[in-house]
Parts: sequence; C-alpha cells; structure tokens
Amino acid sequence: MVREFKLPDVGEGVAEGEIVQWLVEPGDEVSEDQPVAEVETDKAVVEVPSPVNGSVKEIRAEEGEVVPVGEVIITFAVEGEDEDEEQETAESEEPTESQEQVSEEPADIGDGSEPIETSAGRVFAPPNVRRLARELGVDISSVSGSGPSGRVTEGDVRAADEGSGERSKGPKQFDAGLQSATRKAGESGEGDGSTDDTGAVESADRDRTLAAPATRTLAEEEGLDLNRVPATEERDGEAFVTPEAVKEYAQAQREAKAADAQAVSEAGTGADGEPAEREERVPYRGIRRTIGTQMATSKFTAPHVSHHDTAEVEGLVEARAELKARAEERGVRLTYMPFIMKAIVAVLKEFPEMNASLDEESEEIVVKNYYNVGIAVATDAGLMVPVVKKVDEKGLLQLASEVNDLAKKARERSITREEMQGGTFTITNFGAIGGEYATPIINHPEVAILGLGELAERPIAEDGEVKAAHTLPLSLSIDHRVVDGADAAAFANRVMEYLENPTLLLLE
Amino acid sequence: MVVGDIATGTDVLIIGAGPGGYVAAIRAGQLDLDVTLVEKDAYGGTCLNHGCIPSKALITATGVAHEAGNAEEMGIHADPAIDMGGMMEWKEGVVDQLTGGVEKLCKANGVNLVEGTAEFDGENRVRVAHGGEGQGSESIEFEHAIVATGSRPIEIPGFEFDGERILSSRDALALKSVPDSLVIVGAGYIGMELAGVFAKLGTDVTVVEMLEEALTGFADDLAKPVVDTMEDLGVEIRLGEAASGWEETGEGIAVTTETDGGEETSYDCEKALVAVGRAPVTDTLDLEAIGLEPDGDGFLATDDRARTKLEHVFAVGDVAGEPMLAHKGMKEGQVAAEVIAGEPSALDYQAVPAAVFTEPEIGTVGLSPEEAEDDGFSPVVGQMPFRASGRALTTGHTEGFVRIVADEESGFVLGGQIVGPEASELIAEIGLAVELGATLEDVAATIHTHPTLSEAVHEAAENALGHAIHTLNR
Repeated sequence: MVREFKLPDVGEGVAEGEIVQWLVEPGDEVSEDQPVAEVETDKAVVEVPSPVNGSVKEIRAEEGEVVPVGEVIITFAVEGEDEDEEQETAESEEPTESQEQVSEEPADIGDGSEPIETSAGRVFAPPNVRRLARELGVDISSVSGSGPSGRVTEGDVRAADEGSGERSKGPKQFDAGLQSATRKAGESGEGDGSTDDTGAVESADRDRTLAAPATRTLAEEEGLDLNRVPATEERDGEAFVTPEAVKEYAQAQREAKAADAQAVSEAGTGADGEPAEREERVPYRGIRRTIGTQMATSKFTAPHVSHHDTAEVEGLVEARAELKARAEERGVRLTYMPFIMKAIVAVLKEFPEMNASLDEESEEIVVKNYYNVGIAVATDAGLMVPVVKKVDEKGLLQLASEVNDLAKKARERSITREEMQGGTFTITNFGAIGGEYATPIINHPEVAILGLGELAERPIAEDGEVKAAHTLPLSLSIDHRVVDGADAAAFANRVMEYLENPTLLLLE
Repeated sequence: MVVGDIATGTDVLIIGAGPGGYVAAIRAGQLDLDVTLVEKDAYGGTCLNHGCIPSKALITATGVAHEAGNAEEMGIHADPAIDMGGMMEWKEGVVDQLTGGVEKLCKANGVNLVEGTAEFDGENRVRVAHGGEGQGSESIEFEHAIVATGSRPIEIPGFEFDGERILSSRDALALKSVPDSLVIVGAGYIGMELAGVFAKLGTDVTVVEMLEEALTGFADDLAKPVVDTMEDLGVEIRLGEAASGWEETGEGIAVTTETDGGEETSYDCEKALVAVGRAPVTDTLDLEAIGLEPDGDGFLATDDRARTKLEHVFAVGDVAGEPMLAHKGMKEGQVAAEVIAGEPSALDYQAVPAAVFTEPEIGTVGLSPEEAEDDGFSPVVGQMPFRASGRALTTGHTEGFVRIVADEESGFVLGGQIVGPEASELIAEIGLAVELGATLEDVAATIHTHPTLSEAVHEAAENALGHAIHTLNR
C-alpha cells in the first residue's frame, strides 16, 4: 500500500520547512530511517528519515519549496503490505471514465483518497481501528482511508499517528532527524534556486509544478527552478511542464544572460574587469526568514526599552587572567562569558521578573525558577541562540566548555533544536565584533536581553583624573509590559557590581 | 450519616446487577479495580429475571407447542398438551442457571456483592439499606460510581399493577396458570410478544392500542407480517383505543377503552396486562445528594464515555436513555469500567441492533433507507423475500424478507431490516457489516452456507448490486 509522509513538526512554533534537497528519487528503494530529504527549518538543517522500508512512489515537494508542517511531501510504496490495497489506490488515482463522471458531483465519496464522511460525520472503519485511533490519540475523522471505498485501515491510523505524532510527542520522534543534522545549507549545491534569477524572460514563479521525473532531472541539469519555467499544459488543474518547455526556457535564459553581459560590458566593467551586476536577488528563506519573523514578532509584540551603562571591569580582567592559565591546563578556553553568565544569574535571582515570560493567552507572567541562558552566536547563516541550561548549577569551567561547544555547533550548523530551546534570559555579545552600544531585540517570549559591547580599555574619569581602564558597555532591553525601566536600571547596576567585583560571585 | 458509622471503601461502586451493572462489575474486576456491586433484588436484573430470558423461554416453549399442533402440512398430527407448571419450572430453571452464573462470574472476578438498596449520601458515599426493616444498613465510600438501576414497567392511571387482575409484564411471565382471556394494553414489542405467547397457550387475547398502529417505531412493512400472523392466531388488535378503566364483573373484569371520538368499548377478560413501556429507575437513588438531576423522562444524561456530568459518576443501561436494550447496557457497562480503569474506551458503535421476538421475528440494525437519505447518503436497497429461500420453505415459515441498505456510491452497508424466521439471529451479520465498514461486495463475495436462512442476507446484497440469482433484480 501507499504510505504518505507528512512534513513533521520539528518543535515549538515551527510551521514550515524548506526542502533543501531530495536525497532520493521516485522508484528508489529505501529502508526505514534512511534519510530521504534535507529540510531546513528554524535554525537547523535536518535530514528527514524514511518511516518505512519500501520504495519511493512520489515526491510531492520541489527542492526549494517551503512546505507547511503536516503536508504530504513524499509517498512510499510499502513492501509486504496488502497488494490489493495498493492496486485499489493505484486504480483510484487514475480515474476511469465512469469515476470521472462521479467525481464531478460534489458528494464524491469512495475515491480512495479522503475519509468517507457524510453530513452525519460518519467515518468507515472497523472497531479495532477505531480503538487503535483512540489509543494513539488520532482523530479518526481526519484520517485518509486507503481501504476499499476509502475505508480507514489500521495502517492509515498508524501512518497518521507517525505523521502527526511528532507534534504531540515532540522531540522524541524527531531526535533521529535532528541528530543527523550536520550539513550546511550552502553545501547542498543545487536546488537553491538562485542561478536563474537574472533572466530577462518572464518567469512563471508558481508554488507547485507538475513534471515528469526526467523533466525534473533536465531542469536540474540546466540549473533551473521548475516553478519558474512557463508551463504550456495543465494536469489536474495544475501547471505541467514538458521537457521542451524546459529546454526553451533554458535557451532563453542563456540568451538573456548573454545580452545582459554585453550591456554591462558596453556600459563599463567592474574593477576586476568582470561585469558587475547592479542588484542581486537572494531568496528570503530558511534561517534568514526565521530570524526575521522572530525579530519582527518580538519587536512588534513587546514594547522594548533599552537601558545602557558601562561597567568598569578591571577586577574581572584580572580574575579572568588569573584563571585563564589554570583553565587551559584543564583544556578549557576561559572567556569572559561564563563570568558574565554567573553574574547575571546571581542578579536574576534578585529580580525574578527579569527571568520570566508573558503568557499572553492566559494573561499570566510566567516566572521561571530555573536559569537557562541563551547566548546569541553570529554564524554564516545568521543569528543562532544556543541555550546553556541550569547555569546556576554549573561552575565557570563547565560553563566555558559548554558555551564553546554550543557556539561551535551553531557555527557548524550541527546544533539541535533542543539545544536552542528552553532559554529564560539571553545574552548577545555584539562586542565580540566591535562596538559599544546597541538595542538588542528581546528573544521573545523572554522579557529581557543583555547586549555586551566590546570589552576594551577606555578613558574613565576618577577623582578628577582621566585614566585608562577596562570597561564593558552594557545594553539591556526589557519588555516594558512586564518590567519597568527602574527595575532595568537596578538590574543593570547589580550586574555591574558583580562584574566590577567578581569575587562576589564566590558568595553564590 | 449514622453516628459512629464506619464506611467501607471501594474503587468502583456499581448500583444494580442487571446486564449493564454486572458487565461493568466483571470488566472492572478484570481490570484489577476493587469493585462493589449492590443489588436489591436478583442478579441479572430485569433481563434475566423478569424480561428477556423468561419471555424468550416462554416464546420458545409455546412456539414448540404451536408448531407441533399445526404441522399437518408436514404430515404431523399432534395435539400437544401444555403443562403450565412444568413450562414455568423449566423457564425458572433457565433463569436460575443464568443468574447463578452471573453471581459466580462476579465472585470469580473479585467483585464484592452487597444486597440492598443504595442511596447516595454525599459525593463519594452511598448508604445501602439491607432488605427490610431491622436488616440494618451500611455505608460505602467510592472513588467512582456506576448507576445501573435499570427500568420498571410504566403504570397507567386506573391500572395499578396488583398481580392478580392487572398484570405487569413481570407478573405475566410468572403466571402459574393460563388465563382464559386477556386484554393486553399496548401493542408495542412487549405487548405483541406476549400476545403471541398467550395466544399459543390458548388464551383469548385482545390487544388495545391508543395509537393508530401496532409496533410503532418499526416500518409498516416490518410490522405488517407480525400483525397478520397475530390475527391468524386469533388475536384481536384494536387500534386507536385507549384503555380508560376497568371493573370487576364477578367472573373477571371488563376493560373499557375510549377512542379519540369518545366512543367507548368494553372487553370482558380474566386479566389485563399493561405493557405501555418502561421508565428508568432514578427516583430511589437520592440523586440530589450528589447534585445529579435526571431529565424530564427520568434518564441520566451521559457522554460517549458513559459518564454523567460528574467526572466520577457513570450511568449505564436503561437509566442512561433509549434504546432500552440489554445489549446496549452491556456495552455501556464495559465502556464505563474501562474508562474508569484508564483505558481509551468509548461508545463509538455505528449501530445498535434490535430484535422483537414476535412471530415472525423482527430484527433491525443501522439505518433504514429513509434514515440513510436523511444522513446524506444515496441509499441503495437490496431485498430478498423468504418465500424464495429454500431453507425458509423447509421450515414452513416463508413470511417476511431481508432488506439490506447501503450507500450507492461507496457500497458501504449502512443497515438492514429483517422480518421473518430467525430475524433476531440473522440481523447480526448485517450489524457486523455495518461495524466493519463492509461493502455490499464484501457481503456478496462471502460464501454463505446452503441451505440456510443466512443465504437471504447474501442474496439481498447481490440484489442491491443488481446481480441476484434467485430473485428478480431491482
């Protein structure tokens, strides 16, 4: 029989993913857990494993396509399951004349693809299947039946459970996929759809395009996105692209590029003699878009107020210098970050409303009595925020090693979603690149974020004298719905106190 | 609460040991719950003691006598003599065997049996009064309660049951001698079943019915063969006449009826049997003590987990609403026990079958053609008359038919109606088809034993598909 595989929910709040690359083609034999696709989701590229042993029947999403969670992206023909059922499904996919007539009527039931449901809401399934659905928590009325006349079978319910199970079971189901997420999006080569963007020929730019596998291969070879190839035919109401159309479009693209190049060379060349394009369009997708969405949500949900201050951190510099060598002996590179994290957690305990989130739906402020600090890390792909858990229970060296480890994973894009979830407060260290102050955007739904400027020697005035001292600029943004400016200032003052006198941390 | 009273505790307290209650008790016991079952009368409830089982015993016994005495066509000449005492003894033996079995099964599954009448005494507590005066009482605290108190026959004004002249169905099933004449008030299924029993025993039976039809709730074409057979048996069926009163006549009684138009008729008879329906027993429980209120008809509203509006109180069987059928109560009892044990159980059956043990029998399950249409299906119907069934001919009972209802587009079997020999048994196959989501093709493609009555179900499915062999296709 045919098993449908829906794009699983990979975690909190993720509604869609981009198909980076298919690793299989229709007809390929696959085994259970074999990766079949790379999907870029919220801050991670994951390999989606096959749920079954069988063969690939149909690939339903294009590379580069953004697919909502829950949509069927691939179907498998499963070996050893009821061949009659497979026949049934196969037949129903190619309607006979009489079936076509039937299907024109609105009450088209029994086509084998949808649950049979009437105005009375009845679903046809035997009692054992109904019980199984209850056991698995599957709403049987939403299950597509693959049995005769669309009857819901045990397999359908199990498939529905696997497809949606990740939503309820969360990380457990998706662990396998996440653990294998080791590939950078940039390494995936083809399929990023960026090679044909300069075309002067009008492109189609559909969401979905039907084409034979050979046509898809041809388009790949030409470096074309099928969704941009003008279609001359329609199948089942959707655009269908032929090999001829691909060839024609590829030719037009080449000619257009040549024309562009000539125009540019006539107008003058760049410094290196190569034609310089005036503008370039890069798809706003994947991590970039996720970051954007997250930032916009935060900015426009939480009224931000930023508080700036500068800590004089000679004590911290000395303490770190003293401990750094000891840490290196133990194989740990000790940065300032663990000190800052410890200081923040000590102060968060004094200001619990800063270690909180706002549950807008239930109108409750959720104050967290655990301390998971997110550390924003700039990566090639964009900003990522790994979370160091239970900071209050860990020593400086352990924190140092965890921060280093997580930042490395983030840069390599091998970080898992779990390692980026569950934060209660975030630190963003823009100073590592340079600069003093910024307005950090809160990592929603947290209520505060602390930005660190560059720790550097700066002139300070002391007793009427100007002298050089190490200072650390601090930029604290708060969600003014939950935290007031006075509290933010008091919080920053206490943080500065710890940073100026790090020995206070010994009391923690 | 009695001062100094110490309550015993139980996980599940079940009130009533009828089909709903005892099934719940046994299932809960199987699921390792501590179960206490309170019964005031006899294990097995109305069904085993005063309803289904004794009536079917008598229907069978009188049927045997009637068949034997009317088999000249088969070359049998007999004049059966009925020993009413012997027949009742046999019936009671059947009942005793079954009720004893229920008690044994309950005990074997660890159910604590308590005799008495339970009344709620707080959210998690009942008071059980044992037997009569001076027998004492006890309190039981429960985590969960299942109300399974069943139903009792409805009395009509002026016709209070006395067990002598005015009989309930329960009284009628316990008669020690055959009345010469009997007026049955009510032409529902109980009245019609008992009309058949007494007619076959030689009683002069008159059925009076306030409504204009007998066996309301069943389609005309299902009711008609029954009415015809009753009349053939000599039963007089008077429709549109409401029983209005009765009086002693010296030799017996005279039952008076009245039509809508005010026309009065009087029927002399030895006894009158009132069978106008049953009402749930919810008035003995002091439901107020737990904040439950029955609806206007006395039923307790429940959800698809057999749960009342109280999280820890369930209701099953006749008290939980129509249809008042033992098998529905059994299913509800099972589900209630499983839900209490934390299992993912629910009342999600597609159809509840029903059977009437008249002559001929009626069996129904699922949707009629009209109901199917109302539910948004395009019904297709296949029918097989028993007169075309070889086996029916060899039993001498060829009245009636099998009808199967399916959805034309998908072929799914939606229901069936059977009137005829063994309809109560045959309906099970259609019920199974409905539950399984089987199609007409499935039924038609299943080889049925020849020669049997079940072939009629097969043939009806073939007929619906338009390739019946033994009948003309629709």
